[in-house]
Amino acid sequence: MPAVADPSLKQWLLETVQPDEFVEKDLKISGIHFEALVGADKIAGIAREFLKRGYYLESLTAVDFLECFEVVYHFDRQDSNARCCVKILTAKDSGHAPTLSGIYRSALWFEREAHEMFGIVFDGHPNLKNLLLPESSLIHPLLKSFKGEAKGSDVVQSLQLIDEDKRDFELAYPKSISQQGKDYYLNLGPQHPSTHGVLRILLHLNGERVLDGEPILGYSHRHHEKMMEIQNYLACWPNFGRLDYVGAMSYNFGYARLIERAMGVTPPPRVEYIRVIATELNRISSHLLWLGTFLMDLGAMTPFFYCFDEREKILDILEMATGERLTYDYFRFGGLDHDFTPDMAPAIKRFIPEFKMHLREYHQLITKNVIFMKRVHGMGVLSRENALAYGVTGPCLRASGVALDERRRDPYSIYPQLDFDIPVRADGDVFARYQVRMQEMEESLKIITQALEKMPEGPITLGKLPKNVPKGEYYSAVESPRGSFGIYLVSDGSLNPYRIKLRTPSFSNLNSLIDMIPGCFVSDVVAVLGSIDIVLPEIDR
Amino acid sequence: MTAIFFEAIKIFLYCIAVILFISVNTLFLVWMERKLAGRIQMRPGPLYVGPMGLLQTVADAIKLLSKELVYPSEANKFLYLSAPVLVFAPILSAFLILPLGEGRIIRDLNIGFLLVFALANITFIGIFVAGWSSNNKYALLGSMRAVAQNISYEIPLMLSTMGVVLAAGTLSTTQIVSAQDKGWFLFTLPMGTGLLGFMIFFCSSLAEANRAPFDIPEAESELVAGFHTEYSGIRFALFFLGEYTAIFVSSAIASTLFLGGWHGPWIPGPFWLILKTYAIVMVVMWIRWTFPRLRSDQLMNFAWKVLIPFGILNLLLTAIFIYFEDLLR
Amino acid sequence: MEVNKDPRFLETQIPSKLVGFFKLDKLLNLARSNSQWPLTFGLACCGIEFMAAGAARFDFDRFGFGVARPSPRQADLMIVAGTISRKMLPCIKTLYDQMPSPKYVIAFGGCAIAGGPFKFPGQYGILEGIDKILPVNVYVPGCPPRPEALIAGILELRRLIQEGKTQGTMSPAVIEDSQDARPAEYKNAMSRAEFRKPPTPAAPIPPAQE
Repeated sequence: MPAVADPSLKQWLLETVQPDEFVEKDLKISGIHFEALVGADKIAGIAREFLKRGYYLESLTAVDFLECFEVVYHFDRQDSNARCCVKILTAKDSGHAPTLSGIYRSALWFEREAHEMFGIVFDGHPNLKNLLLPESSLIHPLLKSFKGEAKGSDVVQSLQLIDEDKRDFELAYPKSISQQGKDYYLNLGPQHPSTHGVLRILLHLNGERVLDGEPILGYSHRHHEKMMEIQNYLACWPNFGRLDYVGAMSYNFGYARLIERAMGVTPPPRVEYIRVIATELNRISSHLLWLGTFLMDLGAMTPFFYCFDEREKILDILEMATGERLTYDYFRFGGLDHDFTPDMAPAIKRFIPEFKMHLREYHQLITKNVIFMKRVHGMGVLSRENALAYGVTGPCLRASGVALDERRRDPYSIYPQLDFDIPVRADGDVFARYQVRMQEMEESLKIITQALEKMPEGPITLGKLPKNVPKGEYYSAVESPRGSFGIYLVSDGSLNPYRIKLRTPSFSNLNSLIDMIPGCFVSDVVAVLGSIDIVLPEIDR
Repeated sequence: MTAIFFEAIKIFLYCIAVILFISVNTLFLVWMERKLAGRIQMRPGPLYVGPMGLLQTVADAIKLLSKELVYPSEANKFLYLSAPVLVFAPILSAFLILPLGEGRIIRDLNIGFLLVFALANITFIGIFVAGWSSNNKYALLGSMRAVAQNISYEIPLMLSTMGVVLAAGTLSTTQIVSAQDKGWFLFTLPMGTGLLGFMIFFCSSLAEANRAPFDIPEAESELVAGFHTEYSGIRFALFFLGEYTAIFVSSAIASTLFLGGWHGPWIPGPFWLILKTYAIVMVVMWIRWTFPRLRSDQLMNFAWKVLIPFGILNLLLTAIFIYFEDLLR
Repeated sequence: MEVNKDPRFLETQIPSKLVGFFKLDKLLNLARSNSQWPLTFGLACCGIEFMAAGAARFDFDRFGFGVARPSPRQADLMIVAGTISRKMLPCIKTLYDQMPSPKYVIAFGGCAIAGGPFKFPGQYGILEGIDKILPVNVYVPGCPPRPEALIAGILELRRLIQEGKTQGTMSPAVIEDSQDARPAEYKNAMSRAEFRKPPTPAAPIPPAQE
């Protein structure tokens, strides 16, 4: 897909809106076409115009400067790489900004997060309470003036939260079931028998029908963004392995791509091929884990074991080079940590035909099963408009009819030279997402086969690179198994990042759950949640 | 006077025998389930506790016996404590009428298995009471689903056995088994109605025992643990016992009604009954580990729109064919 | 702050017995050690390794641990697998309180033991180790530990139960360890005007210098 800057949009911006600052950027280095600084009152009009022209809100975040906050909006199109950036400035104490949640629904959660992390108030937001931090928390962690909490505060705060929880529970809920009406609230989580991690969904039920449901996040908040501001770039590698531990290779890829573009270096060709092979193997193992847990949610316990066994074979292969099973830390800036060992290529070549045969078996066992079909057909439909309004990416979006894949939209590494399809379905229901992921596994096998054939010999590192990244702002996105993973980096030229914003795909994907579940049964909520394929730590960061 | 005394001793001994048998049977069935699940899932299952893991359930049982007994503070104490008993005890009545061999039966009642089905219905009252009295929304949801499911599947359960009753002319289990000496009712009932009746009975008994794919009341991935969420220790063990006994009992009744009971060459009758029963139990367990579960409304659709019409059809066809057979003879 | 004497924690500690039935106790401990039912409780990355340990290749069901119960009333082992965020803590405490005795805790992974890679000076989101709140019986280190490590931890717990040493350990609220010497360079906010100036040519710091 060509990287097309929309000239009429630029013209409109320059003439009609007249931004305070307007800078054309180099797409290859910074990841955006242009950036514009406008007054805070104009952002809603700009957002509406972007929506009319077919853009969606990719990311919304804030940066803490000495004099003001800078609220940064990234917009992009689904059919081409037209990413551009609009900024507004707000005052430091009690800074206000207009909300975009009426125009783009993905702003609902982005703005809540910016509010709790910085203290910016978004006027007109329907529900501006803490998203990731505890409800009673008053700190704004990502402020530069927040230098951390004292030692021992973890136990003190935990005990406080335990007391608050007891108090709130006694106030909020009637003692006996017989006092409840036909409408009642049920918590799904945070301790889930269905292994999604610590997500809590507050369901408002009438009998067994869901009236509405609200995901409550933050039970896995591990302050990645704050950590990355206080340690240097190399020390941030383990963070990326632990954000989405199931698809960690693609997160490695995202970080490597960001920094290499910022520094202006290209890794040697062998490195590119190895990176693609490792990422695609990881994509298969991530989809296998999804398949096993999704079917376990539906009640079929056996495919979980088959899928995990397949996955173990992939983990064995990747362990030969990386030494890790799960939270990979394999890529480095301009290269890799270790080369592929000589017995890896034959192991992969043995794995591919076995896996193809097993995939056929899974299709026979699952896809044509009558009970499975009844549980997934027509459930949890996500329309194309809703998907774009929420900023959904990845297989969920492709199952709703939009052929958006970062490997095609903004091609990186050797993907332009490889021949593979992007599976797309139009129904938008659970079955469509299932089909898209099953086919993606086959496409990944194609990619691995081609890359193995063409892989050249050569060095796997560029040698010593500078320890800092040149001053500037950079945005880069890659295709992770869950969707488009973007990183926005503000670098002041020093050894540490000034601000890193992680635009994780599951964050927006889960946001769309709010529209998918009203009218379902409780059993369907579990099926729909499983089909979105979320990993909690990447949502809560 | 002494006759009544000896009769009372005999009944007492029968009760002890039944309870011993159920305990050993459940121990064995739980082990078999875990081993079978393991083998289907490409792993060994319990292996180290006793030879081949046979003592695993014994360890589980002792552990459950020694657990702390807690109960929720707002629960209705009497109902909460009586629910496990209500779930477990009525199924024991089935052993009254199971014929182990020629003339070997505890009581040859002329209403036979109808009594058992009537008594076994009390089980679902126990499930309902368990869910309601726990003062827990998950338990309540689970028990509501269980009540709807159990009531709906009682009807096809009855209907499918009516064909057998028509062919044998009696409700008494000994006479039904004697009527199968020329061939199992599965095959000898005219025009495949035996097969249809057996399939309906099998599906309904799966649903009655809350087994997959009909295990929505205790759907682990959705409702934490369904109606027995708040039960721990020995009370939870009673629910478990009740479930496995229900599987055994419904398989035993299926083999009595459709598979010829204790008929079979070379080895004595009781072994044939046990063999046939365990064959059906293995199929029940196999199904659990193969299929996903149905949603509650799909479950109800299946009962009311599929099983009951076919059950009525089965009854009509059996009646018509038996009438014409008698006419031709 | 002396955690162990806090009245809220006395209720989590299993009191020692007044009366002991020696042979029966041995039998009960033997049965308990071979039939631990874990609570399905994965918090983060280590949860996946917990699932992998239950899957076909490693299979902790062989030892009797396989029946993973979702309801805390029916479980007796809580394997805390993953980072404990402060927001999650009331749930963990509630679940632990709901489990009937005798109950055991395995701290699985670096985060559950002492905060793991997410412990940095001034961290605001996590609890540095579950043993600050609950008594832990076995610690399994790793990030994430291999499934074999979990099985080793389970076997260690089995040995401890059979020997009767089931009193868990708790750690004080504030401990100094090597992670506290970790560099945490909190910087002040930069001026935006300064940031928008184009970079001077001498910007990249060459690798030879520090």
